Amino acid sequence: MTKAIRIPWLLVYAVSYLVFLYLPVLLLPLFSFNDGTIVAFPLKGFTLKWYAQLGQQDTLLQAMVNSLIVGGVTALMATSLGLFAARAYVRYRFKGREVSEGLVMLPLVIPGIIVASSMLVLFISVGLKPSLTTVILGHVFVALPFSVSIMKSAFDDFDQSLEEAAFDLGESVVGTFRRVTLPIVAPGIVASLLVTFTVSFDEFVLAFFLSGNSPTLPVYIWSQIRFPAKLPNTLALGSLLLLSSVLLLLIAEYFRRRSTQSSD
Amino acid sequence: MSEQNIIEIQGVEKRFGSFTAVSDLNLNLKEGEFFSLLGPSGCGKTTALRIIAGFQDHEEGEIRIDGRTMGEVPANKRPTNMVFQSYAIFPHLNVGDNVGFGLRKTKLSRKEIRERVAEALEMVELGGLQDRKANELSGGQRQRVALARALVMRPKVLLLDEPLSALDKNLREAMQLEMRRLQQKLGITFVMVTHDQYEAMTMSDRIGVMFAGQLKQVDKPEVLYSQPCNREVASFIGGMNFLDADVTAESGGSLEVNVQGFGKMTIGVNPNVQAHDRKLLVGIRPEQLEIAAEKPDGYDACVRGEVTDAAFYGESVHYYVRIDGLAESVSVAVPNYFHTVDHSRGDTVWLGVQSASVIDLGKRESLGGEK
Repeated sequence: MTKAIRIPWLLVYAVSYLVFLYLPVLLLPLFSFNDGTIVAFPLKGFTLKWYAQLGQQDTLLQAMVNSLIVGGVTALMATSLGLFAARAYVRYRFKGREVSEGLVMLPLVIPGIIVASSMLVLFISVGLKPSLTTVILGHVFVALPFSVSIMKSAFDDFDQSLEEAAFDLGESVVGTFRRVTLPIVAPGIVASLLVTFTVSFDEFVLAFFLSGNSPTLPVYIWSQIRFPAKLPNTLALGSLLLLSSVLLLLIAEYFRRRSTQSSD
Repeated sequence: MSEQNIIEIQGVEKRFGSFTAVSDLNLNLKEGEFFSLLGPSGCGKTTALRIIAGFQDHEEGEIRIDGRTMGEVPANKRPTNMVFQSYAIFPHLNVGDNVGFGLRKTKLSRKEIRERVAEALEMVELGGLQDRKANELSGGQRQRVALARALVMRPKVLLLDEPLSALDKNLREAMQLEMRRLQQKLGITFVMVTHDQYEAMTMSDRIGVMFAGQLKQVDKPEVLYSQPCNREVASFIGGMNFLDADVTAESGGSLEVNVQGFGKMTIGVNPNVQAHDRKLLVGIRPEQLEIAAEKPDGYDACVRGEVTDAAFYGESVHYYVRIDGLAESVSVAVPNYFHTVDHSRGDTVWLGVQSASVIDLGKRESLGGEK
């Protein structure tokens, strides 16, 4: 008797899904080491020259610096706002809490292009020229939902009597926040900083509309893709960004988990 | 315990919207007293404690602690410290830093803080555990750390919010005795909130019983037990058989009553009762009833009944006895001297009671009026 060969459809589906999802991403680093300007098989040989050339390109470095500034400031602003908002959402029952929470989370579902074009119109109408400042404002808007949800999970299991105990022991309101609240939610803060930084660092649409003459890295990469000769450089840069994004998110996840554990 | 009042609460009222959590609270606490606020959950006892601590504002009335009017004084400036129900041990600090937390805001030097912390930890029998991390502590140890952290501040009044409810039974009983001993040694006023009548009885000098935001009775545990002011208090503390009685005559400090099922006797007037009436409610504690197969001698009233149930509690046996003319079975508790359950369901038994064991509970409310 022969056994009927059963095709494991679920496995086929899962594998093809993963291949479709990640193969393009994996091609990026692969071609960044390819010794040739044309992105096509067969590969020509191994080289690091595309990486080496990155350091010599001033506009690229400037874009990198822009992105770091925007990402850093965005992370700080979104996380501070998120910290206080999340504490209020978790701790207090006030009128309009749910509406306000919904509004804060809204950027997750609004199409970026709508946000970007309306922000551009708004900023210009109030006399704010496209610059890194406008990019930061836009990025804080889209990064806030991430920060609020991370900080909310940090506050969720935070026992309110911890703050009361500190206050009861003679500490001031500010001192209580500094000596008790902050240290306990610190892992959440670190996670939020990393995630919001990554959100900002990778963001393209808003930055494209709002950056004016000072492009961030994604905007710069987009502008370079039009020049075939620069493509391998872009691939090398993209691979580096990919690597650093993944690392940042892994670290962020580590801290997020620590924050939910420590408040038990 | 001195006669000096450490806390004076006058006419304090707290409302949440239309709900009155604490209504017209009047209470004086003496220096060095162990006082418990006892009541079912939601009765306002925790709100009252939080008002004393300064965590909760109040609409009316006044609180004085150690002669100072508290008014707008915030919790961090009050001479009180609190042990929280969850203990609220700071998870990011070790035991020593937890206990020394409040001392950091004082003018004490590092060395003095270390000494005070060590002393406080010795006091709660956690000596030398300064470096232990918060998450390495057992439930009982957390409770001790919370105690030490509050006591190290040398408060005038220590407030305890259900301090033992998170512990298992054996540990809880051990801690009851230990906390009582500690309180007597330090002479600090303890105000404890609890819903556990036994905890309140074993630990307190005086107990205040609260229902629905109102302080119904404040007395020593013995008095609360023997002369509760009404049915609510009587049923919340210990077991009680409630019986209807009709007053036939009144003379000085005693009432001649005809107790349903038990017949005529003369009982003492309960001074804690607000209103008396010809239609009286009386109570008999289950352990003050004698149960026997033959009619017992030397009792003021004896009545025959039938055992409907027997429950073995270990240290005692509870019998439920149906008596003609009574709607509910009477419960009788017998100490387990001889390791036997003498009567079983269906047996005919005699119940005996002394008139001194029949407690006057005041005017009888109409049926369904009170539970």
